[in-house]
Amino acid sequence: MLIFAISGKGGTGRSVTSTNIVYRHALQGNDVCYLDFDFGSPTAGAIFSVGAVARGTRRHGLHEYLRGDCAEPHQVDVWSESDREGLRTRPPEAGRLVLLPGSEGGGELSGGNEDMVRRCVQLFSRLNEEFDLCMVDVSAGRSYTAELVLNATARLPSIPFRWLVFHRWTRQHIIAADGLVRGDDGLLDAGARLGHDPEALRDRIRFVRTAVLEPDAAELVGLRDEQRAWLFACDQELRELAGRHKVGRTAMLGKIPLDPILQWREQIISDEDVLASKIANAETASAFDELAKKIVDDTAWEGL
Amino acid sequence: MTSVDATFGEVAAERRTASAPLSHVSIELGHLYMEDFEAGPERLRQQFRRVAPWAATVRTSWQDRVPGRRARVSTCFLIDDYFSRFSTPAELIPMVLEAAAECDLTIDYLARESACAVSDGVELAKLVEDRLVDDPSPDTNGSRPPVKETGWLCNGSRSPQVGSVQAMGKAQRWAPPVQNAKRGHSVFVDVELWDEHGGKRTWSCPFLAAVWQLLRLGLLRREGRLPVRPVPRDDAFPEDWESLPAIVQLNPAAAPFSAYTTLSVLSPRFLPVELAVRTILSQVAVDGDVLEQVAARSGGEGIKLEDELVDRISYVFT
Amino acid sequence: MLVMGEVHTGLLQSSGEIPESACRDVLHLMSGETVRLSRRPMIYAVSPDLLTGVDCRLPSASRSRIRGVGTVVSHSSITGGRVVQGSSYARVERAETDRRLAWSHYLARPGVIEVLGKAKSSDLGDGFIGDPQPNGLDLGSISARFMDVVQSSPLLDRRAPFKVARTKVRWVAQPGDPAIRFTLNADQTRTIRIAHSGDFTPAVVDLCEDLALHDWLLTTLLLIVERARIGGRAGPEVVAKLAPAVDHLLHLWMPAARVDEALVPYWHGLEDRMRFTAQWERLVRRIRDQLTLNDAAMLRSARHP
Repeated sequence: MLIFAISGKGGTGRSVTSTNIVYRHALQGNDVCYLDFDFGSPTAGAIFSVGAVARGTRRHGLHEYLRGDCAEPHQVDVWSESDREGLRTRPPEAGRLVLLPGSEGGGELSGGNEDMVRRCVQLFSRLNEEFDLCMVDVSAGRSYTAELVLNATARLPSIPFRWLVFHRWTRQHIIAADGLVRGDDGLLDAGARLGHDPEALRDRIRFVRTAVLEPDAAELVGLRDEQRAWLFACDQELRELAGRHKVGRTAMLGKIPLDPILQWREQIISDEDVLASKIANAETASAFDELAKKIVDDTAWEGL
Repeated sequence: MTSVDATFGEVAAERRTASAPLSHVSIELGHLYMEDFEAGPERLRQQFRRVAPWAATVRTSWQDRVPGRRARVSTCFLIDDYFSRFSTPAELIPMVLEAAAECDLTIDYLARESACAVSDGVELAKLVEDRLVDDPSPDTNGSRPPVKETGWLCNGSRSPQVGSVQAMGKAQRWAPPVQNAKRGHSVFVDVELWDEHGGKRTWSCPFLAAVWQLLRLGLLRREGRLPVRPVPRDDAFPEDWESLPAIVQLNPAAAPFSAYTTLSVLSPRFLPVELAVRTILSQVAVDGDVLEQVAARSGGEGIKLEDELVDRISYVFT
Repeated sequence: MLVMGEVHTGLLQSSGEIPESACRDVLHLMSGETVRLSRRPMIYAVSPDLLTGVDCRLPSASRSRIRGVGTVVSHSSITGGRVVQGSSYARVERAETDRRLAWSHYLARPGVIEVLGKAKSSDLGDGFIGDPQPNGLDLGSISARFMDVVQSSPLLDRRAPFKVARTKVRWVAQPGDPAIRFTLNADQTRTIRIAHSGDFTPAVVDLCEDLALHDWLLTTLLLIVERARIGGRAGPEVVAKLAPAVDHLLHLWMPAARVDEALVPYWHGLEDRMRFTAQWERLVRRIRDQLTLNDAAMLRSARHP
């Protein structure tokens, strides 16, 4: 299964959320890999705390692979190469957790390159043989990268894939997420041109809300009544907006609560961060855990 | 108990390769296009008058190579019915035969060019296309699939794509194409093998000519069998080209159609085409078993053939 | 001088084993060439041999710059309708001149890479088995593509019963007193060195492919048993995890079945040292024991609900 993580705008927490989902999915006993297709700034290594590839790898990164400058991309085994003590011991029930970093100094890749599409098809095809799940971070907005993976998946009809569209709970983000999916030259439009069935493609897209602050959250206890009333009104307005833009509850796969640890340091939240050092909220970890199950749960992906 | 020497074989797992009867040399007396036909029988007679002395010379020189035996020489003539259709076999062939006879030439075999594309449902051209092994440029180490420009084949590396594939990256500058086996300077050749319009593929003239050479050298097989065999002529020639066999044997006493070597006597206007043919043929990997068969047969007659098949092909441009 | 090869092995990307006719269709890589197929002791189908041209640095333990030009022979195969292999090799021979010749020269010697200039056979062999240098001869990528062409066939449903990485076996064969050495590296790569008396024959390639196949079977079975975490979870869950091994792998173990009689002693020699079959049989017993235990438990709970 291939999962593509995209967002309408930058700064949604797409990368940190998708890495955490992959991590949880590995803990659930699956062999997983994470492909850093955020070609403009390949920094997924930092989230997994693999210092050596924090800004991309020096040898055989995904940029080099897709440009045709190396035969096989570098694979980093997170369980053995992470600098974080907590990630370096692979729990007995966990599957493989592998990162395919971009190249250090790599930039966005240009579009319309047939060789690159072929290499991308080869990459997805080989990884699908080896891993239960491949999470591909496709960066934000309409991009050549999104076009590349739409093109590649259109040529791999028997490999299942799904899209997660990340957005924050704000007006701009809701409008942008909808536009990215349904707007002109959005995922559905471009996908159809590249050979996807738009209906089928739509059923493979779900939204994930990030940094969500619920009006009744514990953090808001100290607020004045006026502030709380205003928040409720805002939330109500956003719900209506989301509903109109078809980004509402039915198309939503899950939401991640606002957590200071994710705001200040984009990192993997381990159970130790929740239970021992208590720097992360238990709700956050369980939201990741829930999403890690839902991405492969067919009942959560039945046609809308 | 004594040990028993047991063997087990499975027929399906073994590979068999039929062998072709072979002459010493196959001489192509001519290649007829529509414009030649339109120019009338005199053009044909001119062509045959030019060819006759060369054909005689080749016959003599092979006779010298096999003293005491009869040199096996067969002649053939190719008619284009692929790129343009003109006349009918019934009208055209007698005219060709008559013109040849006037110059004391015998045409042993007559072939249709379209048979080099498809013959009796066998796609000969596809057979050859699948056997192309691209001439690798220096630093080709196998890590990437061969660089292909679909439908084209060259003898070196093409100019690189100008521009940049990565945002803010260094741009690739123009560089000239380079011949792989160059001596000092390049003679870069890029040959169009086919084009496609409305889903229909048309093979290029050089590609079909390469198939024609391979047929004459008896080096093509389909599932181990010979893909085309000459068919003796009927008393009358048919009214349409489709009804004419791919290769018709006109002379019942002819030496075999295929041969160790070939000679083509052509007008110099075919020079660029034949350069393209050699570019193609030098990248065709002939079945190893077939090559060995031919080497064994010729060796058995005391004839040493050139290793490289392009060196078994010769031309006279006149 | 020597022969170098690399075999990649993996699980066919289909939900079940595929029949003979499908093997033929999937491996039909060249028009006019039939897929060779044998049915005993199990179905084995192999594509025609195809050539790939190379002109590059050859491996060298001393990191000398050695240029080789020629062709690599490759084919894809399917064993038991279930296991795919992509295999490539080339005979390395000294060239008669030090400059590159016309391509037709190399095509007249299929499967031979000619060395331009000086090179020592041992230096080449050590270099190939040891740490390969970037931009050097890459038989692995060629073999990987010969696996890809099978795995991406539209005739396969891509719903393989489990996920498993491909294994890579690099091998070198040189003339000498008969000897074989098999080395297991940390990652998915293994190396084989073979010394053979007399001339090299493609039977050596068959031997390496057979060893690669069995090494993959053993590696994969070990992985399945490890993933099942026997003792670490409830019996029925363990059995569910072990089931793919029973359904798809256990019947494929048939060492040296396709190996030329003259080379069977190499297999026996390795068996004596590595105890491949003994380890396989122990794993199989362990799996069967789990199934039996689970059956007994189910029977008990059915009697005493």
